[in-house]
Amino acid sequence: MLLHVLVLAPFVAALLVALVGGRGTSAYRLSLFSAAVLTVASVALIAGGDATTTAIDWFKLPGSDASVKYLLGSYTINAWLVFLSCVLSLAALVFGKSATPEGEFKNFSVGILALLGTMNGAFLALDAVLFFFFFEAMVIPAALLMAAYGGKERKSAAMNFAIYTLVGSAPMAIALWYMVAKSGVTTAEGLFAFLQGQSIETQTVLAISFLIAFLVKTPIFPFHGWQAAAYAESPAPLSAILTGAMSKVGVYGILIWVLSLFSLNETFFTTMLWLGLATAVYGGLMAWRGTDVKKILAFSSMGHLGLAVAAIFTLSPKMFPAVLVLLVGHGLSAGSLFLLSGVAERMTGTRELSKMGGLVKSKPVFGFLFGAAGIIALAVPGTAGFIGEFLVMLSLWDVGPLPTLVGAICLVLSAAYMLRLIQGVIFGKANQCEENPVHLGVLEGSVIGAFLFLLLLFGLRPGIIYENRTPENPETSVPAAEVVPADSLAVDSLALVNESMNTTETTVQTTDSLAKDSVKANAEVTAND
Amino acid sequence: MTNLPLWLIPLFPLIGTVVLAAISLASTGSKKGASEGIVGGLAVLFPLLAFVSTVVIGWNMPTQGVQETLGTWIDIGSFKASFGFLFDSLSRIMLLFVTGIGTLITLYSTGYMHGDRGFARFFAYINLFLFSMIVLVLSDSLLLTFLGWEGVGLCSYLLIGFWNADVSNCKAANKAFIVNRVGDLGFILGMITLAMVSSDLLSYRELSAFLRDAANVELVNILLPIFAMAGLLFFIGCTGKSAQIPLLTWLPDAMAGPTPVSALIHAATMVTSGVYLLARLSDLYVLLPGVMTVVVLIGLLTAFWAAVAGLFQNDIKKVLAYSTISQLGYMFMAAGVAAFDVSIFHVFTHAFFKAALFLGAGAVIHALAGEQDMRKMGGMLKKTPVTACVMIFAFLAIIGFPGFAGFWSKDLILERLYVSGPMGPFLYMMALLTAVITAIYMGRLMVLTFFGKYRGGEESEKHIHEAPASMLIPMVILSLGSIFAGFLWAGLIPGANLFEQTLAPVVGQAQAAFGHASVHVSPWLFAVLGTIAAVVGMAVAWKLFANRRIPLPKGSSAPEGFGATWTFCFDKIHGIVISAFRVLAWVAENVVNRFVMMLQWLVGGLGELLGDFASGLQVAKVRLQMALSLVGVIALVLIVLVYGGLL
Repeated sequence: MLLHVLVLAPFVAALLVALVGGRGTSAYRLSLFSAAVLTVASVALIAGGDATTTAIDWFKLPGSDASVKYLLGSYTINAWLVFLSCVLSLAALVFGKSATPEGEFKNFSVGILALLGTMNGAFLALDAVLFFFFFEAMVIPAALLMAAYGGKERKSAAMNFAIYTLVGSAPMAIALWYMVAKSGVTTAEGLFAFLQGQSIETQTVLAISFLIAFLVKTPIFPFHGWQAAAYAESPAPLSAILTGAMSKVGVYGILIWVLSLFSLNETFFTTMLWLGLATAVYGGLMAWRGTDVKKILAFSSMGHLGLAVAAIFTLSPKMFPAVLVLLVGHGLSAGSLFLLSGVAERMTGTRELSKMGGLVKSKPVFGFLFGAAGIIALAVPGTAGFIGEFLVMLSLWDVGPLPTLVGAICLVLSAAYMLRLIQGVIFGKANQCEENPVHLGVLEGSVIGAFLFLLLLFGLRPGIIYENRTPENPETSVPAAEVVPADSLAVDSLALVNESMNTTETTVQTTDSLAKDSVKANAEVTAND
Repeated sequence: MTNLPLWLIPLFPLIGTVVLAAISLASTGSKKGASEGIVGGLAVLFPLLAFVSTVVIGWNMPTQGVQETLGTWIDIGSFKASFGFLFDSLSRIMLLFVTGIGTLITLYSTGYMHGDRGFARFFAYINLFLFSMIVLVLSDSLLLTFLGWEGVGLCSYLLIGFWNADVSNCKAANKAFIVNRVGDLGFILGMITLAMVSSDLLSYRELSAFLRDAANVELVNILLPIFAMAGLLFFIGCTGKSAQIPLLTWLPDAMAGPTPVSALIHAATMVTSGVYLLARLSDLYVLLPGVMTVVVLIGLLTAFWAAVAGLFQNDIKKVLAYSTISQLGYMFMAAGVAAFDVSIFHVFTHAFFKAALFLGAGAVIHALAGEQDMRKMGGMLKKTPVTACVMIFAFLAIIGFPGFAGFWSKDLILERLYVSGPMGPFLYMMALLTAVITAIYMGRLMVLTFFGKYRGGEESEKHIHEAPASMLIPMVILSLGSIFAGFLWAGLIPGANLFEQTLAPVVGQAQAAFGHASVHVSPWLFAVLGTIAAVVGMAVAWKLFANRRIPLPKGSSAPEGFGATWTFCFDKIHGIVISAFRVLAWVAENVVNRFVMMLQWLVGGLGELLGDFASGLQVAKVRLQMALSLVGVIALVLIVLVYGGLL
């Protein structure tokens, strides 16, 4: 039930706002209320542990016997990502009130709610085609919002974004269609079983087709061409969602729809590891040189997510909690920095770092929050960012000292650009910029305050994030060996993902339960037939 | 036996931080700001409570110490860490002077920061600093120490850049943070290296137990390369935090912060954490003679280089900054010959006399309305007699004049260096030479500041005034410490070695294991030679500077000529590394990024050409592109279906 609510209710809420929203305030109240309820629902989802819905036949895929199923499921990782998308959408709506032109808030909130629905759908879908549907669908509200409410270059940034991501997922569409047509199933578990019969070469080609879509979405070097402009030109609340939640679909896709689906060889993992590290260094260097506040944040996000992807491909048993904590921490801290930078832009009338300054003197509360968010983004111990990056370094160490050293250099780079950003925005003196009478609203300030509090809380009790809350049930637990054929290379990757999931006492988690639930669902479908 | 819980000690300054931060934020709206009396009172109260609880806990402490685990921090199966505190004789001494001197300097700051717009913010930072420092010292594991380690670095950053309207202060703050970050990487990688063996080894007690256990001898021997690597990495962390070669460039710049900050953070407490860490890991380091040699040589070079650099400075705080670096070098030399108790003893005495010197310098600067250039001072002895007396006592302590605190601790270091082995006499001679130079540059500071005639303008001479009582009381207490603290371990007086006895349970076994060469030289000989060094240095300083005409400064107070070359040589080396990264960043932006963009335009341009060709309709481009990609997808799918696969 919760799963359906999280995916469908945003669309209903968007419709409601569109129909009855009327003038600004009621749209504001209604959309804020829906987002708040959805955030509560996402917390309930996390608290409830693993869950799946009954599969519903949706439509027959032309050209194959497969029927696409409307099938949702949650396990630790995607429940947290759903939380991120909900809470960031809520924050975006709070900040959107003042960030959008007079009278435009209604349309803005419709867009944000629709985007929220598609993101939740992508995170929760257990059916590959359903996932792909949401994965593609989320581009549309995002691009429209960007084109409508962005900065000066918004049109070209939006187009770039839309084309880039859609073209990027074209190979995935083909690969998916091929697999579905050949196997006649659409669920993750079914596809996994089908893929075991294929040669490694075939699997690698298919995996790369999937991967490109995710590399573009994350983005990972060299598929990042759309990102800086899109993040910079989007209205700040949308940038916060893009980096805090939507980019995570890419990382999530790599983890769940590539790594645990395909059997891949060593070369593939090593290549991806270094691609992730290259992204981390590249993002750090670009952020260091950046002159535009939002572009600095965009490249900083790219660097962090590059580190997350590198960690995934270490296949270390520590990787899973590392990546999860890193993603949650990054979503909250990058989200709050983007939201605040949007306010700073309205305060000073510019995004150029060299022209800003002195905000801590003229707007002390804003300055405090911006400084605190910046420092927390530095991965100081006691914050979620530190736990994430420390565990990532531990995972990298399992591959070798060199990747760890590269990861360590990124920590210094992040200090260099983040301190430069803080200094440029809030310290020094106001410099060739306007001093607009813009103030941080009480609600806006509280949202950022809450985010920062969560970052500290997760930094001191990271167990909140990676613990699995599913009540133990020996009957439904399927040992990993039964699900994973022993003669395939996938044993390595999947078993590792499983192993890393078994950090707490419970034995069956993520991919396991993903597969298991699909088995159950399949069985039920067959019985109904 | 009932005792107070350990978490009470860090809790007080933490409450102080929250309360003062709230006051600071709440009062931003008002014109006047919060009442200085209330803020100052609260600011001193919480460190004082921490000090009192340290005394109470320390008084009742059993010999083997108290360990308390508060709860789990990280537990992911293969890596576990918990929040836990360890109060033993080493952390007791560290905590006593951290909270004690911290309280005194906070009291001093209420006078020094009087009238500053960021009064409450300043004390929020100071309380946060004390919290982090207490966590650093009190933690029972490396990971939690690291929380304090980066926490003190963060507070140092916040306080160096306290007057943030001036961008040059922010730059100094950024430099401090980033250089420390480089060192911190050593710390992180060191922890990861140890965790490779087992994450249990991150706990100090477990590490010591593992290394001391006779059953593990063979295992430890096999793991020795890993331990050596970890030891070296931790030492890199120490060179960052304690400003040793090569990561020392940030400390002189850090003098941009308010003077009480320099006294508390950049002289008495934070910068000595590196020495503390080595003592804490003594069981590890005594197994690694190679690493110990590195430690002793780095300490020696740093002590000598910084002492010489101190000769060239005109800014009174810069002299003290280089002097701090030099004294830290002495501490590392002691640690490098496994004289951990002596190194901590020097940390202890140094905290008193260096804090007194800094606070005295602060009082002088305060009296001269912000003037820091010694060439514009002179004759302050008559104008600010109390400050001058405090400074003179602290001066006698730092140069090692017989009877004063520094005499005892420096003498012990020299003695231990001499008996440390074949390199001993060489180390001893260098350290003694450095002691002479120390007496010269400190003598120069005293002569230029307090003797002769006042060289500033006549107008400013009228405004010179002695500091208020809130500043003088802490200074006087610290100067008493500079005189008497040394008697806790007066090597020449039999039985006066309380300090050694109290540290023995923690570092004694490790030191015994390292094995000193049994050379027997009368301690009186060292004492006499040390005294001669101090007196000679003082005499040289008096001869050179007392009657010389001091050229009045033009422009900045930075040294020129050879002095500049010597002082800034490590900045130059850092500059090369930074330039390399700048070039890399330039390449990333202008070569790699351009290339990727070009590819993107190429593909995009082709697509657009095809699109225009295909439609010719006036459709919005986005829609067209979407339609096109959809058509493309369907076409490809049809191909797949017809031919049964791509491959």
